[in-house]
Amino acid sequence: MISVNNLTKVYKLNARKMKELKTTENTKIAVNNLSFESRPGEIYGLLGPNGAGKTTTLRCIATILKPTEGSVKVNGFDTVTEGEKVRGSIAFLTNEIKLDAHFTTDYMFKFFGRIHGMTEEQIEKRRKELFTRFDIYDFAGKKIEELSTGMKQRAAIAVTLVHDPEVVVFDEPTSGLDILTARTVTDYLKELKEAGKTVVVSTHIMSEAEKLCDRIGIIINGKKVAEGSLSEIYEQTGTNDLEDAFFELYKANGGETK
Amino acid sequence: MRNLVLVLKKELYRVFSDRKLIISLFVIPAVLMFALYSLIGTLAKSMNSDIESHVSKTVIVNATETLNNAIDESGFKEGSNITWLSDAEYTEKKADIENMVLNGELDLVVVLQKDFDDVFKAYKGQGDQIPNIDIAFNSTENYSQQAYSVFSNTLNVYRTMLLSQRIGNLEQLTVFNQTEKEIVKESKAGTQFISMMLPYMIMIMLFSGAMSISVDAFAGEKERGTLASMLVAPIKRTDIAMGKVVALAIIAALSSIVYAVSMIVSISTMGGNLSDMGSGFGTVHFDILQIVELGLMLIVLDYFFVVFIAVLSSFAKDTKSASTFVTPAYMVVLVAAMMTMFQTGAKNSITKYAIPLYGNAIAIQDITTGEISSVNYLVSLGVTVAISAVLTVVLAKIFDSDKLMFNA
Repeated sequence: MISVNNLTKVYKLNARKMKELKTTENTKIAVNNLSFESRPGEIYGLLGPNGAGKTTTLRCIATILKPTEGSVKVNGFDTVTEGEKVRGSIAFLTNEIKLDAHFTTDYMFKFFGRIHGMTEEQIEKRRKELFTRFDIYDFAGKKIEELSTGMKQRAAIAVTLVHDPEVVVFDEPTSGLDILTARTVTDYLKELKEAGKTVVVSTHIMSEAEKLCDRIGIIINGKKVAEGSLSEIYEQTGTNDLEDAFFELYKANGGETK
Repeated sequence: MRNLVLVLKKELYRVFSDRKLIISLFVIPAVLMFALYSLIGTLAKSMNSDIESHVSKTVIVNATETLNNAIDESGFKEGSNITWLSDAEYTEKKADIENMVLNGELDLVVVLQKDFDDVFKAYKGQGDQIPNIDIAFNSTENYSQQAYSVFSNTLNVYRTMLLSQRIGNLEQLTVFNQTEKEIVKESKAGTQFISMMLPYMIMIMLFSGAMSISVDAFAGEKERGTLASMLVAPIKRTDIAMGKVVALAIIAALSSIVYAVSMIVSISTMGGNLSDMGSGFGTVHFDILQIVELGLMLIVLDYFFVVFIAVLSSFAKDTKSASTFVTPAYMVVLVAAMMTMFQTGAKNSITKYAIPLYGNAIAIQDITTGEISSVNYLVSLGVTVAISAVLTVVLAKIFDSDKLMFNA
């Protein structure tokens, strides 16, 4: 269970970044008063273009960013004041956080299992499940730097899920993956949902959101502009396609379509 | 604590399972040290023996019979090829001869006054003329320098001979006998060189050992996104900070031990080669207390260096900017360590021991000479421990800062 309450995150910009973004203001509001709730047994998708604030929101959930205003609670724990407890109950998957490539998948899996306070038997049991599920056994003893992109991604997913967390937060789950690995990942996310886990993903791919998510929150410029199941969103926008719905919302919220 | 140990083990394993790192941290320094000192030793030895075996070219003008005797007696002839010139010949070639000295083709020119013996014998008392010897050599040429210093002996012999001709009994000139007795503290004896160099060496080695691994372990991991994987794990920031710092401090310590041992081995295998180059290079005897004091100081200093570099590196955006932060810090350490080389014997005030880096350096120096007071030692140690503790907390705070860790 994740509840995001009036979350606002403001970045301070330095001179170089201000130039990059062609702005004279020294702050950028990445997430603006955003609220949503994600429940156990469903996949909640944050859908929006690049720079909409999806990653920032997920990072706030994962405790590595601190909200400027508002709060985020994961399973009832506040991400700022009870960060360690939150980190104990979630898995945060993202492309930017990487496993140290010098180690083997086996070593990393055991290391993070121990960090999560698991016993050796628990780790071994979990290892069997995940390594079979993601087809890791063949390369588990190899250094991560020797693996292909797809293998690295699978290794990262397995390591991040070592503690069988109640909450899974996945930033762009299929980005950079080949079609086979992408399918394995989305299938697994559905399994997690069936198992009663709370799953939140971010994506800018409409088809992925359509197929994967039970409920979708559409964010544009840091604000939530629509939320609901696919049919609810179609209804709100008078469309019958997520892409059309997105463009309707985008225009209505001051975005320019070229 | 459990997590701290887990992080520590992982960091140690990371280094010790990496063959390239082991070679660059432990093998190359040892080999380099040995090669460097062997080379210095061999070169110094061959330079010395070359100078000694060189047959110097000397021109002597207007030699007297007594001077010839003195040259024979002092053994100057054996190492020298002497050209004897008369006054007329010399006057003719004077410019050429001086030019040859300038170019290193000739090592020494000794010119006695034309009527040296007559003037010497004519001397009766104050106011009479005293004969003159002109000596020309080139102080920038090793051979010339050597010829000059050897010839000084010959001149002494010559002087003595002439004096005994004039006054017969030389004892009249001996107004007193002189005996010398050296009074030194045993702990200080023969350690001037070591106590001068040791703080400098130790601080440089520890810092550079810490620098090579710590920049990558913090700025590098931050850049590669691997530090973030630790930050999303349920582990206290202080555990990550201390685990990493202690592991790196162990590695830095090992690396500097390798440096130190290979240096000592190299120097001692060089053996006599250096003995005529530097005095005060005697044997050092540390008692148990000195060893404990020095060991404890080094451990604390080692941790301090690593955590200091860690803070700078974590503050930096990437390894490149981390290096630009750390380099000036290295300079500061260098200067602080070097300042101890120019210490006079004056006692340092207690406040000096409270200055980080400089205080440590003078404390190390005092330990080697056996002169440290326990108050000064504890002040220096305590200040370093306190600063290290503060820096560890700062490091944990940096890990907790989304602005610094995730560029937010």
